[in-house]
Amino acid sequence: MKRHLSTARFAIALPILFLLADQVNAHEAWLLTPTEIEELSKAPPPPLFRSQLWLGLAAALGFGMTLVALRIEPIIALIEDRLIVPIWKTYGDIGPLVLRFGLAAMLLLGSFGGLPRHGIDAWTTPTFMVPDMQLINVVGAEVLIVSQATLGILLIAGLFTRVCGLALVGFSLAGPILFGPAFWSYTPHFAAPGLILVALGAGRWSCDDLLNVDAGDRIVAPVRQVLWRVSHMLIGAGFIYLGLVYKLMQPTLLIAILEHGNMPTFGLPMPLIALIMTGVEILCGALLVTGRLVRPVALAILGAITFLAVVLGETPLFHANLYGALIVVLLAGRSVPIARGITPSLNARTV
Amino acid sequence: MLRNLLSRISIAPCIIAMLLSTLVIAAPIVNAKGRPPRAVFLVLPDAVAPPTVNLRAEAIGDGRYRLHLDTEAFMFTEICVPEADAVPIGHAHVHVNGEKVASAYFPVVDIGPFAPGLHLVDVVLRGQDHRPIIGRDGLVQGRIKIAVPREPA
Repeated sequence: MKRHLSTARFAIALPILFLLADQVNAHEAWLLTPTEIEELSKAPPPPLFRSQLWLGLAAALGFGMTLVALRIEPIIALIEDRLIVPIWKTYGDIGPLVLRFGLAAMLLLGSFGGLPRHGIDAWTTPTFMVPDMQLINVVGAEVLIVSQATLGILLIAGLFTRVCGLALVGFSLAGPILFGPAFWSYTPHFAAPGLILVALGAGRWSCDDLLNVDAGDRIVAPVRQVLWRVSHMLIGAGFIYLGLVYKLMQPTLLIAILEHGNMPTFGLPMPLIALIMTGVEILCGALLVTGRLVRPVALAILGAITFLAVVLGETPLFHANLYGALIVVLLAGRSVPIARGITPSLNARTV
Repeated sequence: MLRNLLSRISIAPCIIAMLLSTLVIAAPIVNAKGRPPRAVFLVLPDAVAPPTVNLRAEAIGDGRYRLHLDTEAFMFTEICVPEADAVPIGHAHVHVNGEKVASAYFPVVDIGPFAPGLHLVDVVLRGQDHRPIIGRDGLVQGRIKIAVPREPA
């Protein structure tokens, strides 16, 4: 009974997200004013990003720090185990719940135009998964809107969740076909949550559990493990791609956005801050791809996107897919347990 | 001995080292070109005649104004696409005092009402994917000041 009350409470809380929609700001270039756009059009990439010497030194420093972190990984793992034990057993319920509601909020708000691109009035233009992808003059827009909204509702209900996960992977792959190469920036970060849902299912607080319709038991444990690892690799690959294409190769854009948000510089030059952010993003992505230091990396990225959202005045809803996926990764770690009831340290040995 | 050495080398540092090395070589080559960020701007090829835009504003009453966008070498269209070709076709974004107030899909757009005082209107020509167009001479934009009298015209 208690369980059902919790589900009902979460369902009631969801409409509150819609009230936040008017405060929503899309990010990146859409935030910039005409004067900032004009300055950006003339700004050359800073020398730091054009010098192989400086970039080489920065890369060597970053690599050295990564090696040190990898060296002390077993110590960090022990601390992780100690900290995570009190909540570890519930990760399979809390994680998917956060992920489902985060994804559902993005999908439902997008369907009704509640997550608009900056400069567009709320509730006027439906979008596909993210604010930048407006469903205007797109073939089959009506079908996409209905499918997206249906997927959102099913995710809230936690009904056929693993199938919804597969549908989400399908959506993320359809994006580049519908919207062109620009959508590749988003594909990994929606495909990964989809795979996580396929691997974990909806958790306890869901209709799947209530009605006992989860087909998860039929997915053999090694397949679940593969899906889990692939989801980490996708999240990591997504960060490497974003760091490379949008930050390392277009540093003036990142600098303009940071200056627009009056990012605190702590006395450091802005190009150096941009380079540090770029390096951290790429290294975190690489560590996720290789499956190392997974929990610390998830925590670091969660902290970074939260900090940026606060600085830029963005709504957390804009990165709800990442928040959900990273919280699950943070709770579960590198390997998804084969069965409930085993301790984290035992679990670590199953990898 | 080689097997022993290989067994001691972890795959993760090797991958990260290769990734960083590639980036250190590639990034300066790309950035040396000094082009504006592709994610933001639509840069027209040098062979294409650079578009221009000049603004005229006429009062239409109640503090509202009709803005005329006199363009050359540019074609307006209502059609937007996710990724536009580098051609001078698209629309314009109209900003007043730094805030976006309208998208102009035709060379005439009504804006306002404005409070009495001086208002700065900026118009930037955009491609079909909303990216600001950059021609040979830089950003294609127009600017006009509108002085709204105490008694609306």
